[in-house]
Amino acid sequence: MNTYRLRRLVGNILFYLLLGIFVIVIILPIYYIFLTAFTSGDKLFTKPLSYLPQTFAIDRFRAVFAGLPILRYMFNTVFLASVSTVLAIAVSLLAAYALARLQFPGANAILVGLLASSMLPGSATVIPLFQMYQRLQLMDTLHGLLLLYGSGLLPVTVWVLVSFLRQVPIEIEDAAKVDGAGFFAMMWNIILPVIRPGLATMFLINFIAGWNEFFIPLVFARGPAAKVITMALSEAQMIGSSSQFHADWGNMAAVAILATIPVFIITFLFQRQIVEGITNGVFK
Amino acid sequence: MAARRLLLAYALVAPVVIWRLSTSVYPFLRTFYLSFFDNSPVRRSFDYVGLANYVAMTKDSNVTESLSFTVFFAVVSVLLQITLGLGIAELLNQHFHLRTLVRTINLLPWAVAPIVTGAAAVWAFNQDYGLVNDIIWRISGHRPLWLVNVTSARFAVTLTDTWKNTPFLAVIFLSGLQGIPSEIYEAAKIDGSNGLRSYWYITLPLLMPLIVSMAIFITIFRVLSFEIVYALTGGGPGSSTSLLSYVVYLQGFRVLNFGYASAVAMLLFFIVLVIGVLGFGLLRRAWNRL
Repeated sequence: MNTYRLRRLVGNILFYLLLGIFVIVIILPIYYIFLTAFTSGDKLFTKPLSYLPQTFAIDRFRAVFAGLPILRYMFNTVFLASVSTVLAIAVSLLAAYALARLQFPGANAILVGLLASSMLPGSATVIPLFQMYQRLQLMDTLHGLLLLYGSGLLPVTVWVLVSFLRQVPIEIEDAAKVDGAGFFAMMWNIILPVIRPGLATMFLINFIAGWNEFFIPLVFARGPAAKVITMALSEAQMIGSSSQFHADWGNMAAVAILATIPVFIITFLFQRQIVEGITNGVFK
Repeated sequence: MAARRLLLAYALVAPVVIWRLSTSVYPFLRTFYLSFFDNSPVRRSFDYVGLANYVAMTKDSNVTESLSFTVFFAVVSVLLQITLGLGIAELLNQHFHLRTLVRTINLLPWAVAPIVTGAAAVWAFNQDYGLVNDIIWRISGHRPLWLVNVTSARFAVTLTDTWKNTPFLAVIFLSGLQGIPSEIYEAAKIDGSNGLRSYWYITLPLLMPLIVSMAIFITIFRVLSFEIVYALTGGGPGSSTSLLSYVVYLQGFRVLNFGYASAVAMLLFFIVLVIGVLGFGLLRRAWNRL
């Protein structure tokens, strides 16, 4: 009996030790970015590092807001992430309905083709898109970026929605048809309420992905009109001449926080839905 | 009636199909076409050169070194991330206080933008003032150089990527663990099997299809990744931490060598295709074993 207790104790200690290491490895770098952003310049470069806050200086944030059109970037980011997601879900829902419910020639080919097209790397499409965007004057425009943000979401969104719709019993639609409801009325009043939780989950996942996007705006947004918050990171290094040899880490940390807080808030509020969304994308 | 139904079906799928054709399929075919041209706005050239771009790639150390780092990055990442992902999933599957909070904390690296992770890693791997070296120094008294040596720079990229992406994998594996009915373990307990034995003989085999498919995805995502290399090392030292998508970016948008960049992009596509085909063959075998 004693050896059993001892083994359980050792097991418990080992478990909490590993759990502690895991949490520290995740939290410490994030905590350190916060610390850096709120530490005034002369206190930043110390050896060894200090892990307790020494100052609560907000001059980094002031410098960043003064030196860069941060609010414009934030607006662009929110706009692109949310509108591209809504648009992608809307058109995907229409397609998914046809693919799940209406037997028509070519349905399977479209499903497989969508999945295959999702395997095409962004690098393998970006150069012709760049030339196209220059010719069509879509560079530096939010609607141009919107098309590219949304495009990447379509294949998985269609696939997941098809699997949602197949779980909706067809009888409830028949009831609507007896009522003589038109197609869009039926979608809006019957289908949408049933799959709304699934849609909310998809919105969250795609919003976070859109918020974090960097490659597309790097290539297609070169002026402030369409730039996003992830692009402000390298720009933040340039402003302020506090240190010529060290890139200005404090300013960068301030931008990193501005770029991260919104997604962290979403993650804490919607932990359950996000996990569901991640697993939906993989298992369906 | 049938015709109306057909018309409705095509009208419903049309937006998605047109959207994908114009922003993905057509540009991809056009990349393939461009890869046979010397096309540069700087030289104002658009000349058919046959396979010259592909031949040039074999002699381009940026490409060959990128390939060598791609192999390192993919192999080390798969090993590290699968092992750690399974371990973290097991931790998060236990009963303990604040479990929900820890599961949320696990999601944080997933939620941080890759470019933010890469930029923060530059600071973290700084020799004198970085977080990583501060901890190593407190333990061992040494401050290793990270970003100037080939091997250590490669590990710096891989470790940063592991920090960022393992939690996602842990979420997938956790949900895989939760899908295993507890009766199986109870039956094994009666047979005198427990702990590590039942993990090895029950859990792992049941998770194997999931592990294999995740290994394929990890490999493909490593081959395609861009941001962490862009922010952390810029491909250096030399091209020792460069990846093909980074070469495409440099050749396409810094050097403005569209034809050559397209050829590199096709190589990238071909690699992903081969991994996908081989990988899913492996996956079918893993399923059949079950």
